[in-house]
Amino acid sequence: MTLDELIIQCKKQDAKAQGELYQRYSSTLFSICLRYSPNYVEAEDNLQDAFLTIFKKVEQFKDKGSFEGWMKRITVNTVLQKYRKQRVFDIAREDQIEDKIDVEVEDEGIPLDFLLKIIQELPDRYRLVFTMYVMDDYSHKEIAETLGISDGTSKSNLARARMILKTKIENYNSANRAP
Amino acid sequence: MKDKKHIDKLFKDRFKDFEVSPSPEVWSSIQASLEERKKDRKLIPLWWKVGGVAALLALLFTVGNSVFNSPNSDSPIVINQETLPSSENDSEQNPLLKDNVIIVDINTEENNSKTIQEEKENSSNQRTTHNPISKEAIYNSHKSSKNSKVADVNNSKKTTNSNINSFFKDKITLSHTEKEAVAIASEKQTQSGKDNPAIDAEKNNSSLIKKEIIIAETSKTEVTTSAKDTDKSEEQSTNTEIAKTEENKQSILDAINEQNIIKTEDAVAKESALENRWDVAPNFAPVYYSTLSSGSSIDPAFSDNSQSGDINFSYGIQISYAVNKRLSVRSGINNVDLSYATSGIELGTGPVSSALKSIDYGAKQNVLTAFDKGSLDTESSANGGFENITPKSTNGAAEIIQSITYYEIPLELKYALLNKKMGVNVIGGLSTLFLGSNGVSVKAGGFESTLGESNNLSSVSFSTNIGLGFDYKISRKFKFNIEPMFKYQLNPYTDSSVDFKPYYLGVYTGFSYKF
Repeated sequence: MTLDELIIQCKKQDAKAQGELYQRYSSTLFSICLRYSPNYVEAEDNLQDAFLTIFKKVEQFKDKGSFEGWMKRITVNTVLQKYRKQRVFDIAREDQIEDKIDVEVEDEGIPLDFLLKIIQELPDRYRLVFTMYVMDDYSHKEIAETLGISDGTSKSNLARARMILKTKIENYNSANRAP
Repeated sequence: MKDKKHIDKLFKDRFKDFEVSPSPEVWSSIQASLEERKKDRKLIPLWWKVGGVAALLALLFTVGNSVFNSPNSDSPIVINQETLPSSENDSEQNPLLKDNVIIVDINTEENNSKTIQEEKENSSNQRTTHNPISKEAIYNSHKSSKNSKVADVNNSKKTTNSNINSFFKDKITLSHTEKEAVAIASEKQTQSGKDNPAIDAEKNNSSLIKKEIIIAETSKTEVTTSAKDTDKSEEQSTNTEIAKTEENKQSILDAINEQNIIKTEDAVAKESALENRWDVAPNFAPVYYSTLSSGSSIDPAFSDNSQSGDINFSYGIQISYAVNKRLSVRSGINNVDLSYATSGIELGTGPVSSALKSIDYGAKQNVLTAFDKGSLDTESSANGGFENITPKSTNGAAEIIQSITYYEIPLELKYALLNKKMGVNVIGGLSTLFLGSNGVSVKAGGFESTLGESNNLSSVSFSTNIGLGFDYKISRKFKFNIEPMFKYQLNPYTDSSVDFKPYYLGVYTGFSYKF
């Protein structure tokens, strides 16, 4: 089945086509969920919600732009909706972060699993901002609009996320270097 | 020492080709939800059909008592509230919200090392909802591993992140906690090899973060959980609650928010989905005119006479505009002929002053008019008033026929209950009726004569309309419609004392064309 046929069948809520679509794209979309969710279990929950939304809204998909891109957007939105409401503590100090801090780290073959883990461990907002900005190329303006925060907050959240990640990577590196 | 890299670049590069297959359980639960949704979908049209008919009947009766509800009130509201099952259940769980928050507070108080900030964070992390049962079952195994380890978390806090500003410390560790609890729990279980049913699921869960991470984690945090565990053991059930809520199901706010978003998105999408919004339909209908009261429109004297509606015809053209897939607004113009017979009368000729008052006889002085049967008895002249009347003998029973022609301009809403090849709609609205011609005539056997025009008819009146519409889509553009409609006239007579409450029923048929 070509993708177009698959979409047509999915619009008819055909169960087989839905299964096929899931087969094709679940890995891609799951990687998004993993990056945006705080842990594996919730990532699976979010993937499920995202696919349900996709199956429900597929009839609204117009043949403009890529279907994969459309599904990715739905997935990101599903996750954002879930976590953007979470307040990050201590709003008063959010804008005071120094942006100039050195965030260079040594990449000594740090396992991907570890990198994923420390992303997931970030507070919700930091995780969303960092993932959106660094891995999905959103601008601060877009992030601010999507999450309902200011540009400044987005920037300071990003800076803090970097700091946290950097510290963890350094800890990891020094732990592994030591015999 | 190797070369340094900007942290952004590190992450971007490493995650470029990142793909992970989810566990098969995800697909099974998606399938389960889809099945459920299909069931829901089948139920909705039936429910609305029944509901629509019920609403229609209710309105008929209400209107029958001349109590008017807004004609639009029966047009159904939003039909597609198929939200995700989880969010539905979330809102049901509302009452639990409080409990959870309270539990958290207790918990945090007991851990005297926690700061206020933590507490804040904790409660913001606190998810307010329980899982819907189905999901709970699916993820049951995952959760069980999370259950009791909030205590562990406090230990790990002490040892990690010593480099970070104290400012950050609590926050970061706190977000650690969930994760580490999971990791630690899973490690324990796998290592000790207990017959825990959660192990399988846990393996799954930690497939990404397994082995080295766990080892690193444990070595770093040096878990010494036993002491705290005993402290906490009585709060096992409480922690279970917390662990569940920390599953981060959607909070109620999120659920509401999401619903709103879905709704607006749906609305937007629907609007853009309609291409041919306009629809034109010539129509034709036999109409039956009758009254809900026993009074007469011609003269109170006839109120106990037998009266009967006649069947006439209405024809016209209708144009409708689709607001969205289900709702359309329509108008048009119709010519409506109505007529109504009153029997049990006698005819006579006499001066205008003694004749029926509701009829405009023109300039004539002596006119043919009608009287209630019996009032022209031979003795009746003794009663006075009718002495000038010359009764007219007729063959067979005489009757008065009032006929009215209206030009009707309806404004109606049509809502589709079922919008497939066959469509079922409910229709409600108002019509403005402009009086065209009208006449009152008498008929007896072969004799027929026009008395004149009614002088008590409103030149502009209104009707409330409700009905059902059935259609069959012949092609994308053409549709065959059949619409039984009930139209109740609101102010047909200028004289409000006339106890005549006319309505008409019509079965409108026609073809409509979309453009």
